[in-house]
Amino acid sequence: MKTLFGIIATFDTPDAVKNAAAYLRQAGFRTLEAYAPYPVEGLGEIIHPGPKPLLPLLMFAGAVFGAGWGYWIQYWDEALNYPLNVGGRPYNSWPSFIVSAFEFMLLVTIASGFFGLLAISRLPRLYHPIFEAKVFERASRDRFLICVEATDPRFDAASIRAAFEQLGAERIEEVRS
Amino acid sequence: MAMTLTSELPAAPVVAPDVTLASLSEQVSGRVLMDRAPLWWWAGFGFSFTLFTLLVIQMAWLFVNGIGVWGVEIPVAWGLAIAEYVWWIALASGGTIVSALFFLTRSPWRSATNRIAESMLLSAAPCAGLMPIMHLGRPGLFYWLFPYSTVMGVWPQARSPLWWDFICLICYILMSIMYYYTGILPDLATVRDLARSRFKQIFYGVLALGWRGSSEQWRNQRTVYAIMSAIMAPMVISVHSVVGLDFAGGLTPGWHDTQFPPYFFFGAVISGTAVIIMLTIVVRWGYGLQDVLTAYHFNAMAKIMLVGSVMLAYAYVWEAFGPIYGSDVAQKTEFFQRAFGFTAPAFWSEKILTVVIPQLLWLPAVRRSRTLLFLISGGIIVGMWQERFVFTTSSLEHNYMPSYWGRYYPTFWDWACLAGTIGLFLTLFFLFLRFAPIVSIAEMREVIEEERSK
Repeated sequence: MKTLFGIIATFDTPDAVKNAAAYLRQAGFRTLEAYAPYPVEGLGEIIHPGPKPLLPLLMFAGAVFGAGWGYWIQYWDEALNYPLNVGGRPYNSWPSFIVSAFEFMLLVTIASGFFGLLAISRLPRLYHPIFEAKVFERASRDRFLICVEATDPRFDAASIRAAFEQLGAERIEEVRS
Repeated sequence: MAMTLTSELPAAPVVAPDVTLASLSEQVSGRVLMDRAPLWWWAGFGFSFTLFTLLVIQMAWLFVNGIGVWGVEIPVAWGLAIAEYVWWIALASGGTIVSALFFLTRSPWRSATNRIAESMLLSAAPCAGLMPIMHLGRPGLFYWLFPYSTVMGVWPQARSPLWWDFICLICYILMSIMYYYTGILPDLATVRDLARSRFKQIFYGVLALGWRGSSEQWRNQRTVYAIMSAIMAPMVISVHSVVGLDFAGGLTPGWHDTQFPPYFFFGAVISGTAVIIMLTIVVRWGYGLQDVLTAYHFNAMAKIMLVGSVMLAYAYVWEAFGPIYGSDVAQKTEFFQRAFGFTAPAFWSEKILTVVIPQLLWLPAVRRSRTLLFLISGGIIVGMWQERFVFTTSSLEHNYMPSYWGRYYPTFWDWACLAGTIGLFLTLFFLFLRFAPIVSIAEMREVIEEERSK
């Protein structure tokens, strides 16, 4: 017997799914997640209230590190490890080092954003129990899904079903994995 | 901008009204998931691949015999390969501008064309990167440019614009790949969910990295993507400006001028947009995406191209004004030789193709005609190639000492290199066309919902 992962319902408009998410949060459910074909404005804040992930801060840290790293490589090469006299310019020719330091800064910023996004979204993760839901493939096309997971302390299949029906869900399905 | 465009073309919505979320996903993914590619794809791919083999032959011949197989000589040591490096990187940069800058302005026409722009730039950037490597003379040692000196014992000269250029190009390609992948991840998940054969499910399943489209993932993806766009736009300006500094940093008359970083960048805007327009016309026709790529998009991109040509006209005025008004005899001589000497035909036809003819785009009728747009864009790309060619060679042909003057004649292998990189570019683009969604499905969904709620 497969274990129950959660109960999933499909809605056909972004407003309906936002409405349902707000209702379930208010009813005290905490382990729920919505799946949508495109970013629905405000849905993330309803389901995950509280502070946002610190991705912009991570990218800023990446920028500071990248700029320092880019400059340090050049300073090390041209002034410390092998002082190179080019036309009498100072060993630490900072105006010339700015350009590459700038490029390193942007590269590390984008890389920290990219890998930070993957890490915080727990990707790559090729299998997830939610993929067992028959309706799930619609979430990448034209439907808005909400799943209340069985780990929720207030989880109770019958009452969740009733709530979904009342909220105007198109289809309700039990997800087992 | 959106408002004025809509009131100007009331009959041309951003997306046809009968496109739904489901039909869009199926239409775009369907092109990727086709079991057999259409005949035009095979014809195009076959043609491109043939040209690409020419590049391989050319590279083999070049590497065996050395740089002498090209027309480069002293005094003109920078020939077609360098001019084409600039040309290719300009096309790529234009793609990033269309994709990143117009994400920040939230222009609705960007959603359907950004993937074409990004596929184009990822196809053009390798062509650009190959050019200087082929030009090195000892191409196997190109990795000496990496700042890895403590281990290798060689020290790149970090004060040189040529080294900055190498760093810019490497960073640009890496960043473009990450930017592209962040944008395409949700679309790969759509393709994965629509795939029916086991192989394609696994193939796109792995590529999609298990993207689920949860509210949390969307929020993070959108945050990161917006910041990335805000970085890519200045990034690409810096990349192409540094290409301009390669020349401006040299003491050769005709190159040694502070205006060249923006001069090069203006060329990137116009030529990048031109190649995107040409590819969009082909993709729209070939994949039957008339509902998604409408007259709205062509109108908007034609205007960008027009702005580019006006900016370029400004740069051309300075190209003449600087030497003529300045007091340097060598600069003046070089300019008159450029405009009225050996390179005069290329010099003047380049101005006509990139600045005079594009003024036709002021007329709405021209912006509406895809045939004319295709021809004008093709003319711009050819004109930009001429510009880079004249700019690179004419200056070296007329250096300070008249006794040091010479001529540059491209050889068969120079032309083979040009044809071959066009083959590489088209081969890569046709592969993108076949294996990746060519329209950003996720962003188009937002446009559809917005149109519906109006």
